[in-house]
Amino acid sequence: SLYLLSLLLPLLSPAAPISPAEPISQAYSLALYMQKNTSTLLQTYLQYQGSPFSDPGFSAPELQLSSLPPAAVSFRIWHALDDVERLSRGQEAFLALSQHLQLVGDDQSDLNPGSPILLAQLATARLRAQGLLGNMAAIMTALGLPIPPEEDTLGLVPFGASAFERKCRGYIVTREYGHWTDRAVRDLALLKAKYPA
Amino acid sequence: MMDVSLCWRPPAWTVGEKRMRTAPTLRRLLSALTLLHVMVQVNSQKRGALRDLKCTTNNLQVWDCAWKAPLGAGHGTVNEVCIDDRLHSCYPLEKGNVKIPALPPGDHEVIVNYLHGFNGSSAKFILNEQNVSLIPNTPEILTLSADFSTSTLYLTWDDRSCAFAHHSKVTWEIKVLRTPRMELVNVVTYNTTLHGRDTVHYWRWTSDLPLQCATHYVGIRCYLDHLHFAGPKEWSAWSPLMNISWAPESEAKAFPQDKVVLVGSNITFCCVSQTKVLSGQIGKTFYPLIHLYGQNVAIHIQNISVSENSGTNVVFMIEDNVCGTVVFAGYPPDVPQKLNCETHDLKDIICNWNPGRPTGLVGPRNTNYTLLDSFSGKSVTFKRFETLTNESYQLLFQMPPHQEIYNLTLTARNPLGQSESAILVNITERVCPHTPTSLKVKDINSTVVTLSWHLPGNFARINLVCQIEIWKPNSKQELNITIKGVENSSYLVVVDKLNPYTTYTFRIRCSTEPFWKWSKWSSGKRHLTTEAIPSKGPDTWREWSSDGRNLIIYWKPLPISEANGKILSYNVSCSSHEEVQSMSEILDPQHRAELQLVKDDYIISVVAKNSAGPSPPSRIASMEIPNDDLTVEQAVGLGKKIRLTWPPDPNVTCDYVIKWCNSSRSEPCLMDWKKVPSNSTEAVIESDQFRPGVRYNFFLYGCRSQGYQLLRSIIGYIEELAPIVAPNFTVEDTSADSILVRWEDIPVEELRGFLRGYLFYFQKGERDTPKMRSLETGHSDIKVKNITDTSQKTLRIADLQGKTSYRLVLRAYTDGGLGPEKSMFVVTKENSVGLIIAILIPVAVAVIVGVVTSTLCYRKREWIKETFYPDIPNPENCKALQFQKSVCEGSNALKTLEMNPCTPNDVEVLETRSIIPKIEDTEIISPVAERPEEISEAEPENHVVVSYCPPIIEEEIANPAADDAGGASQVVYIDVQSMCQPQARPEDEQDIDPIVGAGYKPQMRLPINSAVEETAAENDADSTAGYRPQANVNTWNLVSPDSPRSTDSNSEIVSFGSPCSVNSRQFLIPPKDDDSPKSNGGAWSFTNFFQNKPND
Repeated sequence: SLYLLSLLLPLLSPAAPISPAEPISQAYSLALYMQKNTSTLLQTYLQYQGSPFSDPGFSAPELQLSSLPPAAVSFRIWHALDDVERLSRGQEAFLALSQHLQLVGDDQSDLNPGSPILLAQLATARLRAQGLLGNMAAIMTALGLPIPPEEDTLGLVPFGASAFERKCRGYIVTREYGHWTDRAVRDLALLKAKYPA
Repeated sequence: MMDVSLCWRPPAWTVGEKRMRTAPTLRRLLSALTLLHVMVQVNSQKRGALRDLKCTTNNLQVWDCAWKAPLGAGHGTVNEVCIDDRLHSCYPLEKGNVKIPALPPGDHEVIVNYLHGFNGSSAKFILNEQNVSLIPNTPEILTLSADFSTSTLYLTWDDRSCAFAHHSKVTWEIKVLRTPRMELVNVVTYNTTLHGRDTVHYWRWTSDLPLQCATHYVGIRCYLDHLHFAGPKEWSAWSPLMNISWAPESEAKAFPQDKVVLVGSNITFCCVSQTKVLSGQIGKTFYPLIHLYGQNVAIHIQNISVSENSGTNVVFMIEDNVCGTVVFAGYPPDVPQKLNCETHDLKDIICNWNPGRPTGLVGPRNTNYTLLDSFSGKSVTFKRFETLTNESYQLLFQMPPHQEIYNLTLTARNPLGQSESAILVNITERVCPHTPTSLKVKDINSTVVTLSWHLPGNFARINLVCQIEIWKPNSKQELNITIKGVENSSYLVVVDKLNPYTTYTFRIRCSTEPFWKWSKWSSGKRHLTTEAIPSKGPDTWREWSSDGRNLIIYWKPLPISEANGKILSYNVSCSSHEEVQSMSEILDPQHRAELQLVKDDYIISVVAKNSAGPSPPSRIASMEIPNDDLTVEQAVGLGKKIRLTWPPDPNVTCDYVIKWCNSSRSEPCLMDWKKVPSNSTEAVIESDQFRPGVRYNFFLYGCRSQGYQLLRSIIGYIEELAPIVAPNFTVEDTSADSILVRWEDIPVEELRGFLRGYLFYFQKGERDTPKMRSLETGHSDIKVKNITDTSQKTLRIADLQGKTSYRLVLRAYTDGGLGPEKSMFVVTKENSVGLIIAILIPVAVAVIVGVVTSTLCYRKREWIKETFYPDIPNPENCKALQFQKSVCEGSNALKTLEMNPCTPNDVEVLETRSIIPKIEDTEIISPVAERPEEISEAEPENHVVVSYCPPIIEEEIANPAADDAGGASQVVYIDVQSMCQPQARPEDEQDIDPIVGAGYKPQMRLPINSAVEETAAENDADSTAGYRPQANVNTWNLVSPDSPRSTDSNSEIVSFGSPCSVNSRQFLIPPKDDDSPKSNGGAWSFTNFFQNKPND
């Protein structure tokens, strides 16, 4: 079977890279679609966490997770990023996000087991993050860039967290999911302009 | 964005379980506070009294006495202490105190010998046990640990310090202190009994303030209550304090974390922080901060309310961060309600219950339930994360084999507590079987089937009671059967007494004995039973054809209950005494057969056949026994039924047959028949085919051994109705005073009932007279004859008046009501004698009058001439301006209505003198006067010939008049003489009529008494503005010419309807000043009329 695999591999990864425009366009469409739902996810999430999370206008930007790279970046740095950095940072973030969304889903099935809407939205967001991850990998393949290996971003962190920590964690994850989606839309728009169809 | 990060590491705390190193000063202070000495009364001896002598013991074995040396003597000077007992034992004195073995009760003299200083002197005192204090050794804490998650302190120590005192009671006192001010948080006492062994004691205490919030210290002392010790007992010294503290992290944290509390409880939260805490809130509500030590703060909430699913958030805002925790406030589980356990199959027990009040806790904190059977010791657990709302909880408990009685206890647990409910069941009495499935039906024969079904479960030890529901068309039957339960779930029963060839629907449900619950009904199973031979032969009748040569056999299809299957054919055979003559097979849909018979005495038999076989034959004799005395009777039904009765006839041996048919049908006629037993004397015939108002013939046959005899013939109606036609009648003969009328019968179909008579009405009257309509109103002039003899066909009406028109009306009636009427007008003949007299007398009178008048006129001819025909006529004698009765009489409606064509007539005016003023009037006032040249041309003429047209047809006149008022070439001029002419010869109606009808119509017929007509005339005047007499001829007809108003010349109305013009009275009564009535084309209106009225 090894022999067979070695025969198949060249077929699966053709030497001539396909045009990156199509995967970029697909990823861009997905990111735009995700962008429409991120605020809903955040609002739904907060609504189920009780006051003060559910209070109107709740915001705690000072809360951050060390395991999740923040989306905020200065414009100068962001603009100076090359394609590899841009894509790999996005990939890293969405990989972390998809893992964290899984964690948040588990947390919420403890805290809010009777809230299928919230659980479904978290699951959907995770699937979309994974989808965008796949699209970004396709872009990198098309551009002939190496795909970074998947890492366990969560590590040993989460299990003993208190309910309050879980709530905060979920808040940060859903918030950063929105920020990263916004950033991905801009990243991909930039790439789209760079690699027109 | 601030890049301050929180570290989300799990709490990596360790219990600081190190013994406290108390400062020496503190220790001294504590000793001073707690160490109590009882002063022993010392009997001071001769030289040098002992000061502050104290004796204590901590083990009852050794007494430890100490005192202060007498003034001037040091301890070093004492070398021994001797007790004055039997042994006179002496103990060296050590360091100012002396340990003496415990002495027996009673006073003992103790001698203290001084070696130096006092010259060998000694001091004495009396020592008694009562003067020795029992002070146990200071206890020692073995361990102090904490469960921070529950804020609980765990303390262990042993009773080594008091181990000597077997069976004595020890009271331990434990104190808890808390930083920062070492305030005493809690003091508890704890009693134990000593058992001589070195026992370790445990004590647990839960702090209201989370242990992380402050350092907690614990100390312990004891009090030994020794029964056999007579001296005073005192508390031991406090043990060294031990503490529990939380190693704070760099990040602020709030405590307690994820705590589950009872709704309504009081709880304190704290935030352990290195930086300043700004506020604390629970949910939305802010609480005052209680400062602990450092930057640590706490908030206290009383009577916490139930949390939402994700808990109540407690949040402390720190300068650049937040710290928070979640508390879950809920209820302990309610007692499970309506616990009910039953089984479907004796394999599993299913228990249902209602959780009762919601706990408010979900997820890992949700209630879990454990169902335990105490007999078998088996248990099952129910755990769900989310709470079911309004839903019954259910647990499945697998039954151990052969166990019938269960003591089931359901325990509900959550972090706040537990509750339980129990039920003792004999499970064989709590069986609600599953729905039976796989219901199958199998034929055994046409009336017996077997039913088999599957009922899952092991019912081998009990009986099942099953209910079989058997539906057939229009009926339902339920069958209860008891069957022994089996292990393999298959059941079979036999159901009998079914009908052949019938579609049944079976369904089944089961319960157990003793009854608990029915299972659900199985789905229905349709089944058609097999065919059996028909149970009876068909109901048969026979009719001879009209020529008497053929016999027609009729039979009715068998009802489904007797056919027992699908009838395929019928066998018809006839037999005489010796042999079977013929046999024919008739296929099913046909239910008659025609046989050609040589003789008239046969027995006909009919057999119906289905697939199972032939029916028993039904036989009928062909012979018809004549009956001479047969009368036709009448009968009327009730509703849809008709009842026929007859006297009992002993000759009738087999049965009676009533056959019937519509009487209007031709022979042989048969609609249906009915057989009744020979002993009955009446029959009620009912058929859907019966219609009201239709005559039916009923024939009653009696069956004798040889054949059938027609016994009665009856005509009848189900319901009688009124005739739908009137009888046709004619006048046979008319005389001056009588009429002979003859009428015809009404056909049976139109009579619709038994004819009960005629009503004949007659009345004076002519055709088209409207008031001749109603007969029913009982006018006195209507005469009615009721002819009840229905055979009567003529009627002579006498005592009539001659030459009079009569209206004759004839109607027939039945019990159903009166038929329509037919009427006729007949004029009786003239009475000839009377006529002759009536002619002769007037002629004679006329002759006489004529003679007399002629004579008189001759004699007075001069006077007459002067009076009536003067040379110069006096205009005042003309009555043209008056409506005289004579003039107006003779109005003939019919004539007025005639629409004669316009025939221009010429009127010749012979005497201009009297006419000229009239013409002037015309010229001035008439609308025609707009064209004066025409008039002026006519003026010089001596005789004016004016052609005029009687304006009968409104449109012909009105339109030209409206279009061009002055353009009417046919001017209407009034000849006064011609007006007066009718007045002069009133009797000559024939002459007047044409004038009235065809020529100028005098206005005597105007609708002067009708206000409506006034307005109509007004409209006419507006629209036409021309001369429009007879504008509304119809209404003129109705105006009575002798209306009193019509003669009143002063009346407005009359003046409006002046004899000469409808529109303008000015025509007749002209104003003298000629400028006011200026004619402006067709502008005449009522306004003009009223304005001009004062001129009259």
